[in-house]
This record gives sequence, structure tokens and C-alpha cells, in this order.
Amino acid sequence: MLTQQMLQQKKLLLCWAAIQLSLLLLLQQAFAGWVIAIFALLLLYRLLSIFQAKAAVSLKLVNLLAGIIAITFFLQLRQAGVLHFMLQILLLAAIARLLALQHLYEARQLVWVHYFLIACCFILHQDMLIALLIFLVFAANLYSHYRLFSPSVSRLNWRQSGRSLLIILPLWLAMFLLFPRLPPFWQIPNANIASTGLSDTLDPGSIEQLVQDDSLAFRVEFDGALPPRQQLYWRARLYEDFDGRRWQVNALRQNASRQRAPDNAADSSLSYRVIAEASQQTGLFALATPVTSSSNVFISPGGLLSSSKPVSQRLSYQVSGSLIPVMLISEQEQQLNLRTAAGNPQTQQFAYQLKQQYPQSHALVQALAEHFRQQPFYYSLTPPPLGSNSIDAFLFDSRTGFCSHYASASAVILRHAGIAARVVGGYQGGNWHPQQGYLAVRQREAHAWVEYLDNGVWQPFDPTAAVAPERILNSLDSALPEDQRALLDPGWRQLALLQNVRQQLMHLDYYWSVWVLGFNENSQQQLWHNLYRHLPAIAYAVAVLFSIIIVLLLYYRLTRSSTGNTPEATKQLYRYLGKALAAKPPSLSVSAFLLQYVSHSPGQNVCLKQLTALYEQALYKEDAVALKQLKQYLQCHKAELGRLRRAIKNT
Amino acid sequence: MLTQLHNVEQSLNQVILGKSSQIRLALCCLLAEGHLLLEDLPGMGKTTLAHALANSLGLSYRRVQFTSDLLPGDLVGMNIYDARSQQFRFQAGPVFSQVLLADEINRASPKTQSALLEAMEEKQVSVDGETRALPTPFFVIATQNPLFHAGTSALPESQLDRFMFRLSLGFPDHQAEHQLLQRDSSTSRLELLTEQLNTEQLRALQQQVPKVAASDALIDYLLALVNSSRHRSDMLPLSPRASKAILRAAKAFALINQRDYVTAADVQQVFPYVAEHRLAPASDAQESRLSQLLLLQTPCPI
Repeated sequence: MLTQQMLQQKKLLLCWAAIQLSLLLLLQQAFAGWVIAIFALLLLYRLLSIFQAKAAVSLKLVNLLAGIIAITFFLQLRQAGVLHFMLQILLLAAIARLLALQHLYEARQLVWVHYFLIACCFILHQDMLIALLIFLVFAANLYSHYRLFSPSVSRLNWRQSGRSLLIILPLWLAMFLLFPRLPPFWQIPNANIASTGLSDTLDPGSIEQLVQDDSLAFRVEFDGALPPRQQLYWRARLYEDFDGRRWQVNALRQNASRQRAPDNAADSSLSYRVIAEASQQTGLFALATPVTSSSNVFISPGGLLSSSKPVSQRLSYQVSGSLIPVMLISEQEQQLNLRTAAGNPQTQQFAYQLKQQYPQSHALVQALAEHFRQQPFYYSLTPPPLGSNSIDAFLFDSRTGFCSHYASASAVILRHAGIAARVVGGYQGGNWHPQQGYLAVRQREAHAWVEYLDNGVWQPFDPTAAVAPERILNSLDSALPEDQRALLDPGWRQLALLQNVRQQLMHLDYYWSVWVLGFNENSQQQLWHNLYRHLPAIAYAVAVLFSIIIVLLLYYRLTRSSTGNTPEATKQLYRYLGKALAAKPPSLSVSAFLLQYVSHSPGQNVCLKQLTALYEQALYKEDAVALKQLKQYLQCHKAELGRLRRAIKNT
Repeated sequence: MLTQLHNVEQSLNQVILGKSSQIRLALCCLLAEGHLLLEDLPGMGKTTLAHALANSLGLSYRRVQFTSDLLPGDLVGMNIYDARSQQFRFQAGPVFSQVLLADEINRASPKTQSALLEAMEEKQVSVDGETRALPTPFFVIATQNPLFHAGTSALPESQLDRFMFRLSLGFPDHQAEHQLLQRDSSTSRLELLTEQLNTEQLRALQQQVPKVAASDALIDYLLALVNSSRHRSDMLPLSPRASKAILRAAKAFALINQRDYVTAADVQQVFPYVAEHRLAPASDAQESRLSQLLLLQTPCPI
């Protein structure tokens, strides 16, 4: 029975309400708007009633209300999906319980449901900062749990809590390192969140929007040295359908993403690991020609990587491959990339001229690059709007554009000149952090370039490199005119201190994802393997550690016994009844504790009374005879003592 | 002798209904040669308790109503010039009695209060340079109204310390009060009380108290309890005098309970009444919050 005064402790109720509120916020991805509104209303009501010191709502009313809400949730099951439905029901149960909280066992249930819900937060979030937040909520729940069992008047005993945490720490670490990584019990439904990153269509202007986003797209660590910057073209999308204005991913490619490319024995000199951020898309990133990858990722025939499900959590995969351009797969692929769209007459004209001048495709591409270099073409984040014949308008009129404009125009020219060409969307470059040893690629590194077919190989061609070589060699910032850099960097981002903090947080986040999130079966096997290899050394270390601990413990006991030693009678009693006496409240004396059970278990009365009488004589009178008798009694009545232990345990 | 003591206890229970634990504690205070402070609202039976105690123990009993104009001389007595014998003669004050009821002690001026408290501590008074011993046993029962009542001046901490116990009788429960209203008058009951234990027997019992055994482990526990009050900001620390008082009270309590050794439970029983007014002088005697807190926070390993 929860003592009434404990329940009236505003602190505890407020703590629970706060935990539920933060759970609601953390899990809000899983809930529809109206669900959040219901929960928020219930919580608001509870908070108001806490502040006005009203009693809990009657159980009947709460049951009725929760029943109605649960039925509504059930009716919406199809929309929400099973996992989200379960989360809704759990949170509803917790909130309803808090509304009608009356007994201690109910409070205990509440605390345990909170633990479960807190763990559920990790289904939706793996970010380090959010993990920190979840940990704070966990700590609050732990505190409320502690409060539930500690005497209501006492303050939080920091020393005791710290000691318990220290004891649990090795266990926790061992669980993390050694607990088998089981496959998930349920499928995580695709959240209805907007996807980030490159999309399946490439408008003139879509990349300009993307580069204003400073968020991380993925990170890469290389097993060998970092390849030169000019070769860091991270391929993510192939745009092969052109309708005169926008480029689209061919339907064939979308279906083919599940196929595995035939294993060719190309050299795989390059090996790297990519940690992709959640994007809610299947498309992933690789350099030039990937050859092998980890099992969670497919290599499609076009040389693109994709995962089987949209990436809703941070995903890490290993790739090995080479920087050699992608090979042509089939005749069909070539035909696909020779199709031209109507319109843009000037461009067609220009393409024919080029074709006549340079029959070799390689020479033609060089000439095109030279054209971009020689003529007054400008690189800009804010190109003027183009008319219906957008390529014409760009090539011969405005001559100002972003990478997508250049890539799109080049591919159209090449196609009109009879060379198979396509636009590739992806990322170029990245931020190299030499100390941490990884390359951070942000959304602002989004880029588009062209691949043209030359001798059965898809040669990359980046027209942007001709117009603004700084974009490729340095970064986007250096390629843009002064006035446009502000578009990339809002004022607050330019503050050095903030920038620094952000940078450090990003590094921390990197270690978090590598060491904590990335700790999978493979790492675990590796760990076992390493443990096995260094078995003698580890055994030695463990033995040394153990002996140190034992020595310390002995020392501790010796020094302690010299100051305040436990009397012999108490020692004797603890030897035989230690387990039962563990239930003794610390402030109660041993004999008072035992005598409590005289009325509880009449069968043990004689034994109890004799025992406590002898104990009191031996302890309080320091009577040597009584002590001897006590020892004898304890030795001779083991069966009765066992019964006594059970009786104490059961009451 | 212990049986007689229990007879005393029983007859006191006849007079003051439903307050057996307070009566036992009051007797315990008497045995431990301490003085008793009763804090209660008027009309709760403080005077009755003092009077009944004196009657049933066959002790001489005086009552002084403390008022703001009471002078030390009124309490202790003074030398009066006797015209017939042409000499000064000492006129003993009410303090020369075995049981002194100092009613509403906190209404007197601090000067008078300290005269009484000095007598309590020294068990003697000096008037005009002449020291006179007080009778033995000398047992003061002081009563005080809770401080929020008008016209009271609080006893300072140093003087509260002189009282071994502070008790509060509190309201009687329904049954006890019902019984109280049914019978004629409590004063008639008071007069019916006979001497159950004479002074010599009481002295003998009082001398037995220090002989009650207190083991090392018990004293360690008591010290842990006392120590937990020190180095804290939310209460006054307990002095060595307080720990002596606690042990003595626990011994007396053990004696009343017919044991010749003190248990941890004895210490826990008397602790709130001995310690609370030393921990927080201004606290309410009804609730012993701080001492209960200390009891709860101090582990009892034995």
C-alpha cells in the first residue's frame, strides 16, 4: 500500500508527469497529430490536478476513458502499424495509470512501464544527443524508483547511489560487449517522414536547395589513404530520362536496384566504410566502381549502392572497389541514354556543329569543356529563371547556373551529338578531419555531373570543374561569389565558437556511431577472437585484478574491524539467518525485527522467543554463557531456523 | 520493588486514562533522576499527573503557579526577621519539596526560571550565602503551554537541556474521554491513591538504574545515533550531556521493563522524548520529527 503521504509528494508525481511528457516528445514520430493531442490533454489535466492538489481521478472513469481511446487506436491500427500501435497503447496505459494512481504496486508498475517505453525510444532515435536526453529521462525514472522505496523523509543518498552505479557498471559494459546481437523481433514500419537528400527527379534548382542544408549526409573512413579530392565523386543516382526540362531516374533502374551485379574480378584497391545518416531513402553512396560490399547493401548493375529498406536509422556498410569508371552493362543501357527530347533547337544545332568538328567523343567532350571555360559562363547559386527551352536559354542567354544546369546541358548536347550520356547525382568532396580520420560529407556537397559512353566505359565528365574548378578542388564556398556565400551560412553559423562546438559534437557523434551504434555481430566476433588470442594475458590480468581486489577488501575489513566491530552474537545470528535478516529495515534492531514475527507465524514462536532471549542476553549483557548457548542453539536447530527463514520470507 | 512500581503505574493509569506510555515514560524519568517537562494545552491533565505521581509515591508535593511577577525569592524562600527571637529565620520556599510542580514555567520571567533550573541542576539552593540542600528525591515536573500562547517567554536551549524528558500528553482517545466523562470526578480518584512505594524503595530503585548493563555494541549504536545529529544544519547537535541522559533514560526504561540490560529498542523508545527538545527547542512536543528522522537514518546493526 502506497502511503498516502508519499503519493501526495508533489515531487514524485511531477517527476512522472515530466517523464511521460518527454516520452511523448521523444516518441512523437510514432504518433499521429490527434494521438499526441489526446496524450497532451490527459497529461495537462494531470499536471493541473497535481498543482491544485486534487485527488487522483476515480478508477472507473479512467478505465472508461482509456478503453474508449484504446478502441480508437485499434480502429486506426492499419494506419499506424503494429509497432506504433503498441507504443500508443503502452503510453496510454502509463498516462492512465498516472491519472488514477493510488497504490504502491501501481506506482511500481508505472515505473517499469516507463523503463520499457524509454528503451523503445531507441527504436526511433540513435542520435548521440538524443541518447543523452533519453539517458536523462532514464535517470529521472531511476530516481523516482529510488524514491518509491526510500523512506520518504530522507534525502537522496549520493554515496549509496554512486556505489550501486559503480557496481552495475561492469555488468552493463559486459552486457553491451557480450550480449548476442539478436535480429529484431519486429519490422520497423516506414515512418511517414519526408526523405532527405537527392530525390528521384532532378529539376533545375533542386540541388541549389539541397546545398543550403548543412546537415550531415554520410561519413566515410578509408582503410588506406584518402584518394585525391578530384576523384571523390560519390555516386548516388543515375538520371537517364529527360523530358525537355527535368531529369528522372529510369523506372528500370528503380526495379533493378534489388539485383546484384555480377561479381567481376576487377581490382578492389580501395576499401572504405560509409556511415550513412537516416534519409528515408534506399539510395546509398559509393565511389566509381564498387565491387563488394557488406551484406546489408546491394550493388546494382549501374554501380550504385542501395539498401533493401529505406534508411531510417544510421546505417554503416563496408565497400571495396576501384576508382575505374563503371562499365557498360548492356546494349539496352546504351539505347536508353541516346534518347533525346524535342525542343531546344539552338542546342541541337550547337551539338551537330560540335559533332562535325570533333568526331571522336573524347575530343568532343574536351571541346565542350573548353567552350564552358572560354565563354563567359558563371557559377551561381541564384540563376535567373529560364523559359520553356531551358537548355537553350541557359547555354546561349543567361549563361549563369549551378552544377545541375551545367550537367543537364552537357548531357543534352552529348546526346544530340550521338553520344550516350546521363546525369549522375551525388556528392562531391567532403570535409576531411585528419585527427579523427574521417570524411564528413554534408548535404551541401550535393553535386551533379555527367557520364558519357566511351569505348564501353562510362567516363565521368564534370562541366562544373571547367566553369568553377575551385568547387572541385576546395569547396563550394570558395567557388561562389562573395555575396552568395551568405546564402550558405546564416549568421549564427559563422560564429567561431559555435562552429567549434558544432564541430566537436560532430566528432563525438562520429565516435558514438562507430563505437556504439556500429558495434554489431562482426565487431563482437572480432572481440571474441581477440579475447581468445590474448587469453593468457587476459587471464593474468584478471588474476592480478582479483588479487588486488581481495587484498583491498581484506585491508578494508581489517581496518574496519579495528574501529567498530560487529559483536560475536550478531555475527553468529547473521551466519545462520543472514538471508532472512537482509529484509530487516536498517534502522530496526535485530531482536525487534525477529520479534515482529511472533504474531505472524505462531508455529515459530517458541524458537523465536528463545532465540531472541539468548541473543539479547549474549549481546546486551555480554554474557559469555548465553553466547555459548546461542551458538549451540543455532547449531542444533537448523531445521527450525530454515522454517523460520521461510516464514520471514513469506510474510 | 519492581512489582510495587508496577502497582504505582497501574494506579496512575486509573487516574489518567489512556496514557499508559506517557505514564511509563514519566516514571522512567523519575527513576533516572531527571526532571520532566510537560508541554501541552491547558486542561490536558498535566497537573493531575504530577499530583497523582506524588500521592502514589508518598512524596511531599508542592505546586507553584508561575506568573510573570513571580520572584526567585518566592520560589526558593528567604530569611525573614523574627521580631520575637530578634533573628533572621529561613522561610523555606516551595522548592523544598520532593515533587515540585512548576506550572506554566514559561510564563515566569527568565530570572525566576533560572533560579528554578539552578536548583534542579545543583539539588541545592543558596540564600544569603548559606547553602541548603534540597530534599531527596527531588523531582521537578514543569509544564508549559505551547509557545504561541500569549504572555509566554520561551526557555532558552541551555535551560531546556536541564530537563531529561519532554513529554506531551495529548488528547485522550474517544474511549478514554468517554470513560472520563462518565465517572464523577478525577480529584476524588486522586485522593483515593495510596502510597504504593515509599521513599526508601524509590531511592533503592533509583540506585539500581546505573547498574543496568549497557554493552559496548549498544553504546556504539547510541553514539552513532548522537553523532548523526552533529555536523548538520537542520538541527542543533546533541551534546555529551544529552548522550548521558539518553543512556540513563534507556537504563531506567529497561529497569521498568524488568530487564537488567539495555537493548537498542530501549534507546529507540526513549530517544524522541530525550532528544527532540535538544535538537529543536522551538518544536512541537507532539511530533518528534527530527529525532524520528535520526532514528530512521541511523542503521542499527545489532
